[in-house]
Amino acid sequence: MKRAPIGRHYAAILLFAAAYLCLGWFVHNSYYQLMMTLVLIWATVGVSWNTLSGYSGMISFGHAAFFGLGGYTMTILFVTFGITPWIGIPAGVLVGIIAGIVIGVPTFRLRGHYFALAMLAYPLAMLYVFEWIGYQEVPIPMMREAPLRYAEFSDPRAYMVLALILLVLCMIAALHIERSRFGMSLMAIKQNEPAASAAGINPMRWKMLAMMISAAMGAAAGGLYAMVLLVVTPQTMFGALVSAQALIMALFGGVGIFWGPVIGAAVLVPLAETLNAELGSILPGIQGVVYGAAIIIITLVAPEGIYWRLRDYFAARRRATGPAIGKAPVSVLISEPTTVAPANPGERKQAESGEVLLSLDRTGRAFGGLKAVDGVDLNIRTGSIHGIIGPNGAGKTTLFNVVNGFLRADSGSIKLAGTELVGLRPHDICRLGVGRTFQVIRAFPRMSVLENVVIGAVGTSSDTQAERLAMQALDRVGLADQQAYAIAGGLTTKQLRLMELARALAPRPRLLLLDETLAGLGHDALGDIVTILRRINRDGVTIAIIEHTMQAMMKLVDEFSVLDHGKLIASGAPSKVVKDPAVIEAYLGRKWMERAKDTVA
Amino acid sequence: MARTSSGASLAKPLISLTAAIVAAAGIAGWPTGAALAQTPKPVDIALIMPLSGPWARQGQLVKLGAEMAIAEINEKGGIKSMGGAKLNLISIDAGDSAEKAKNAAQRLVAEHPDVVGGIGAWLSTFTLAITEVTERAQIPWLTLSYADSLTSRGFKYIFQSSPTANVQAVESLPTLIDLAKSATGKAPKTIGLIGDNTASPVSFLKPLREPGGLDKYGMKAVVDETYTPPLADATTLMQRVRSARPDMLLYITTTISDLKLGLDKMNEFHIGKGAVPVIGSGGANGAPEVLKNVSPDLLEGYIFIVANWGLKGQEQILDAFKKRTGEPWMTQESLDGYGHVWILKDALEKVGKADKVKVAEAIHTMEFDSGPTAMVFPGKVKFDAAGHRVGAPLVIVQWQNGVPVTIYPIDRATAKAKWPKS
Repeated sequence: MKRAPIGRHYAAILLFAAAYLCLGWFVHNSYYQLMMTLVLIWATVGVSWNTLSGYSGMISFGHAAFFGLGGYTMTILFVTFGITPWIGIPAGVLVGIIAGIVIGVPTFRLRGHYFALAMLAYPLAMLYVFEWIGYQEVPIPMMREAPLRYAEFSDPRAYMVLALILLVLCMIAALHIERSRFGMSLMAIKQNEPAASAAGINPMRWKMLAMMISAAMGAAAGGLYAMVLLVVTPQTMFGALVSAQALIMALFGGVGIFWGPVIGAAVLVPLAETLNAELGSILPGIQGVVYGAAIIIITLVAPEGIYWRLRDYFAARRRATGPAIGKAPVSVLISEPTTVAPANPGERKQAESGEVLLSLDRTGRAFGGLKAVDGVDLNIRTGSIHGIIGPNGAGKTTLFNVVNGFLRADSGSIKLAGTELVGLRPHDICRLGVGRTFQVIRAFPRMSVLENVVIGAVGTSSDTQAERLAMQALDRVGLADQQAYAIAGGLTTKQLRLMELARALAPRPRLLLLDETLAGLGHDALGDIVTILRRINRDGVTIAIIEHTMQAMMKLVDEFSVLDHGKLIASGAPSKVVKDPAVIEAYLGRKWMERAKDTVA
Repeated sequence: MARTSSGASLAKPLISLTAAIVAAAGIAGWPTGAALAQTPKPVDIALIMPLSGPWARQGQLVKLGAEMAIAEINEKGGIKSMGGAKLNLISIDAGDSAEKAKNAAQRLVAEHPDVVGGIGAWLSTFTLAITEVTERAQIPWLTLSYADSLTSRGFKYIFQSSPTANVQAVESLPTLIDLAKSATGKAPKTIGLIGDNTASPVSFLKPLREPGGLDKYGMKAVVDETYTPPLADATTLMQRVRSARPDMLLYITTTISDLKLGLDKMNEFHIGKGAVPVIGSGGANGAPEVLKNVSPDLLEGYIFIVANWGLKGQEQILDAFKKRTGEPWMTQESLDGYGHVWILKDALEKVGKADKVKVAEAIHTMEFDSGPTAMVFPGKVKFDAAGHRVGAPLVIVQWQNGVPVTIYPIDRATAKAKWPKS
């Protein structure tokens, strides 16, 4: 399942355009010509929606805002100033982009449902504004002289050609977005925005760029739509139906892939119209019921759209006939011996004498009255493996969050090789060489292992370099070549852990923060991963690891720091720390401490 | 993500499949020659109305009127100058959006090339969209929609039988003064203006609110309020009316619930039932459904302005309609649907063949001064070059004993206005 060269996608798009054009050219019924134009326009609106919401996961219920502004800009320029749509539509695109920025700046502060709701409000507000300033019904003037100068054609096929050109441009733009680090970054944001920024991606920048491109596409479609409809009203341009249509085309056809909205529009627009034409005169209103039912059924059968459903189906058939990729036994995946080698005391010594890479000086972070991290002094030496342990709720993950910038330390300082990290944003800290993994694995199940790892590298390198770095990272964790192209959805827990490790390694960090990477693994798998971690460390990556599995930790780490209630209660060599009364008390309580004393004595 | 070979190769069969479906639909939908000879060939006229969605009831009322006219014409022997050709009504649902309305018109043009004229589509947004198509196809198009833009585009194939919205706004006050004078013998001096803040009430009241708008008629506004619909309570509004006691009150609402709240409160304050004459705008105020929400008792004396309503001289038409449809009375929708078909019939009669361009020319030049056509509309039935009905007057209707009856123009009124003499 290697990714197809971009040329094949170009060929597919051009083939589609040529076929559509051929078909359209030989249709002489003006009604079908209009339908074929509307399919293209709504497909463009769907691609526009997909570019923001499909890739980044920021669901927009308000794409009518851009559509309407594009349409109204063109219309007002035409009606009021006599400016031709040839200029009016590009002007509308510009207005759309500006609106995208103005809307994006405040709205990107919101997440999830709140973002969706806020987006819903913009077109509704614009609807009332345009009604209020007196643009309730604006007919586009018929230019009997020089119609071409005003983009008015007697042959409806001309509109179809214009709409086709627009759609093809948008599809190509979307294709390039999907295949570049732009699209990768958006998908990383969609999956887990904090994790993406931890991998060096600046979410605001990419989301804003997606919003601007999406707005431009929507506005262009709106301008063309107004030209075809010839009457502009707030309802037709800003109505909730327009926003819904944008969403439906993409959800129906396929989210996060530019073919999706095209498939959606090619099925739904003719379906709705045929129902209107065939049933509307028999039982008015029934067409809406049938249309709604069709959407519900398809959504139930193919929740992420027809495209993905078909692709999964064909992928499954190919898998059944082809080699069993992704189901290889675990031993094949690991290219080095799987037994855990005992720690070599000689090597360990060297690490202890290394200089300090990460240094925390009275670092603190409080949530209201709760001091989650309370004046921690901590030094992690270059080249060491540093274990951070402590009971549940001790503040371990919070400490990581403070180090990599998710949370801002409210006291003390954090220095990475002398550079102050407090106040920097996560993607900046990543660029300085701090990588991390998360307690909960977040993979993109439909993407290949390689693509999953590339996302980790896109934040810090160029597009071509990202793939090379990803391959190297996969190699370092021992996921062999043939697994790179397996679909992540079919991996075992251990393989997923390794993939996530590779993702964190891809940008070549100096310091790796691992949050419970060993959790939930069986004995054998545990041993494999410990081996790999040690190898990574030997190659020069300093590791800080949070873990509860003490047995594995004892073999792995050079030094322990123990946290309890946000305070550092002990630190030092493993053998020393486990005998520390304070540590035993924190873990097991006073009663066990008494017994431990007896044993020691 | 799609960048796999399966993504690309999969798209192709899908496209060709879609193409095949579209192509098949194209062939199947091709007009297969309605010319399977019947002599004389029936003449197609079109009706595009919202038959589903929020405006379905109004569309249905127009359709009822048009169907009655067609039945009458065909019973009486069709178009005589065409050898008794029967009229055939092609009715298409305009749905609930301008896009659907435009699609409906395009379908009409593509699939019924022989249509000689059409009617539609009540809501002016839809009419605007539809006539963009029918104008290019040179189909004479009759409409009762009010929007000024309909007949200001320089179109040659549109005919607007109602006074436009601007004309209604400008003409309503002098018309009401005229009515008050004839009912009481003296001119009213003070007026109250209340309207919600939606587009149509705002533009309706605009000429009266402009500086000098009322002075011209020697009147003064003693109440002037704009509110956001829907009202939760009309007490504040009607307290002002009670204390100012204008000679008449323009209360321009767009929802029946606001009308009910206002009338309720006036009744409570003992200024209801015509004590202070209340005037609204629009045919919706006289739809039979109003009685489901507002009791006839409250409606008594309530006045509204429309483009057409049941007139003196239409007795036969009104009776036949009530019998045929079971509707309690004929609204402007049904009357205009009926009248528009008759206009097309008269024009066809004159042209003598199913030629849409000639029919349009005939409607532009003819004066329809006889038969049902002349009786259906108040004033003359004659259109100017832009498609306005020349000198179309306003019609004023008043609820009396649970029925909305026409009280103006006086010569066509079916009842005398009830207006307080004080």
